[in-house]
Amino acid sequence: MNDDWLSLQQKYWEQWADLSRKAMGAQAPATNPWENALDQWWKAFAPATPDLPRNFMEKMMEQGKMFFRMADTFTHNLPQFGGTATDSWSSLNKSLDEMQKAFMGGEDQGNQALHKMLAFWELPYDNWQRMMSSLSPIPGDLLRNMPHAPAQTVDKVLSAPGLGYTREEQSQYQDLIRRSLDYQRALQEYMSFFSGMGMKSIQRMRQFLEGLQTSGKVIDSARGLYDSWVSCCEEVYAEDVQSEEYARIHGHLVNAQMALKQRMSIMVDESLGAMNMPTRIELRTLQDRVQQARRENKHLRKELHSLQLQVAALSGQEALATRPGALAQSAAAPAKRTIVRKKPVSATPADQ
Amino acid sequence: MMLPIDIRPDKLSEEMLDYSRKLGKGMENLLNADKIDTGVSPRDAVYKEDKLVLYRYQAPEGVKRNPVPLLVVYALVNRPYMTDIQEDRSTIKGLLATGQDVYLIDWGYPDHADRALTIDDYLNNYLDNCVDYIRETHGLDAINILGICQGGAFSLCYTSMHQEKVKNLVVMVTPVDFKTPDNLLSAWVQNIDVDLAVDTMGNIPGEILNWSFLSLKPFSLTGQKYVNMVDVLDDPEKIKNFLRMEKWIFDSPDQAGETFRQFAKDFFQKNGLINGGIRIGQHDISLADVACPILNIYALQDHLVPPNSSRALAGRTSSKDYTELAFPGGHIGIYVSGKAQKEVTPAIGKWLNERS
Repeated sequence: MNDDWLSLQQKYWEQWADLSRKAMGAQAPATNPWENALDQWWKAFAPATPDLPRNFMEKMMEQGKMFFRMADTFTHNLPQFGGTATDSWSSLNKSLDEMQKAFMGGEDQGNQALHKMLAFWELPYDNWQRMMSSLSPIPGDLLRNMPHAPAQTVDKVLSAPGLGYTREEQSQYQDLIRRSLDYQRALQEYMSFFSGMGMKSIQRMRQFLEGLQTSGKVIDSARGLYDSWVSCCEEVYAEDVQSEEYARIHGHLVNAQMALKQRMSIMVDESLGAMNMPTRIELRTLQDRVQQARRENKHLRKELHSLQLQVAALSGQEALATRPGALAQSAAAPAKRTIVRKKPVSATPADQ
Repeated sequence: MMLPIDIRPDKLSEEMLDYSRKLGKGMENLLNADKIDTGVSPRDAVYKEDKLVLYRYQAPEGVKRNPVPLLVVYALVNRPYMTDIQEDRSTIKGLLATGQDVYLIDWGYPDHADRALTIDDYLNNYLDNCVDYIRETHGLDAINILGICQGGAFSLCYTSMHQEKVKNLVVMVTPVDFKTPDNLLSAWVQNIDVDLAVDTMGNIPGEILNWSFLSLKPFSLTGQKYVNMVDVLDDPEKIKNFLRMEKWIFDSPDQAGETFRQFAKDFFQKNGLINGGIRIGQHDISLADVACPILNIYALQDHLVPPNSSRALAGRTSSKDYTELAFPGGHIGIYVSGKAQKEVTPAIGKWLNERS
């Protein structure tokens, strides 16, 4: 049976690899089965693909691999796939146990498929990293793997007072490091919470499978397995992120990132100031003043328009709706003349 | 006893091949897809102020028009073309078909120069000017307003300040009680230092809002939906619809910093529409000052604005003509689903026509 499976896999891969080699003009075959075949095929197309379809296809490739990894994780212990489990349930339990161990960090790092499959639970973290990377010059993963020094030791070092002319500068850098460490702590707390949810989702999947067996239903496709896994994950997630603990962790993550970003902005501003260039703080002061001036200007224009309407009413004339922002009316909707009422209609200011 | 997972090697291999085939075919269709258009009903820009544009939709022939025009007030978050996203899924088109004379505000994309815009600027300047423009154009004292989501909360505030200018008010998927137990977004905002975020970022980037929305159901919204999409990759029309929706989801304008500050603190954290304490310009906001007829529409499966958050409006205004409409769908489905086209827009049109 195992030979059949391998033979099918091999055949499948060879077809794809052959196609991709032709497309790329390359001769060297890839070394892994379907995942590599998909990658090879995609490498041939991706460079010539416009941004939108490319992003779209990459997402589908990524998720497609995910659900085949899922199938791989759940089936590799089954006897028909060459697994060593003595009976069918023990093979499923073995897969679930391996997943659980991987979440706890105890699984053999060589089990690539399993680790990639569990990366599914990093989707929320990945979303966060992508979002922050789009807003920051610092790569999203910079702090993730940074060694984590004991807080007390670091705090002690960072609280050493600065001296002389560089006192303020030193204090700023100390604060920057302090905020970086706090963000790192927040990130780790966030990831640890997700790891806990991952463990729960495996337990939920186990219960789900037991329930299926009781009801006599069967999952007979990789897609069905993937959908069930997503449902279990989403259920666990929905329960846990409603907790006060998660709200606190989420708040800490966002606040720590903002605090770090704020310190960096202040330091950038100081450098700009030193080069006699406009700073963000100065620009904001100007923006505030300009907005206040525009607000007053618009208010005065409104009052003026109101007075014009009143004068027109007193002189018994019809006033045209000559609002400064108004554009030519469409043929479908010809403009009407405004009937001036005793109660004046406020005027609209023009674009400044 | 049979195992709950019964995947045969040959079937798995076939499934892989099938998936790859669909991807290949989908690639062709994606490359052949035309430019993604959004907004399908003909319209004219009739008023502009700064980045705001007020549109008036062209009336279909042979439909008797409601003499009181309807102004659609969309949220500052995301873009208003959701209401007119495609030919067969358009709230705007449905409203026009019922005889409404539809106007819509496009708030535009704020940049750093707009950072200091406040809710007062948005409501008592931009929105009020649009309302006055329409009133003057039609020679009316009051018009109808349809507020959507955050735009609904703004419409309630606006009506409480300028009741004499609003004849009938429709609010759709509008949060009123921001602290219902099932409101995830609100739960997450409670621990955010809003001042720190706004002081740091200036404007709040659309990416942050997107992240928050996608975090409500991360596995379905950022993973599973792309797998599901593979099944329809052979249908160019469905691909186009999907891409249109995808564009809308990620087309999130930045939020003017000072407006976000007040909205997050007064509405989300202090639950000001329920508890009071919202001050906009010279006005203290009280829902009790809203006296006109109200139609409150909410979605029963709304994961962004839970139904109870919208239902909290009942009994809090001084309106003597208050109606609720529950839609069996989600926050987006209420605009784009086939069911919504048949149920929601005709109901709004009927309700407005009976009161104009």
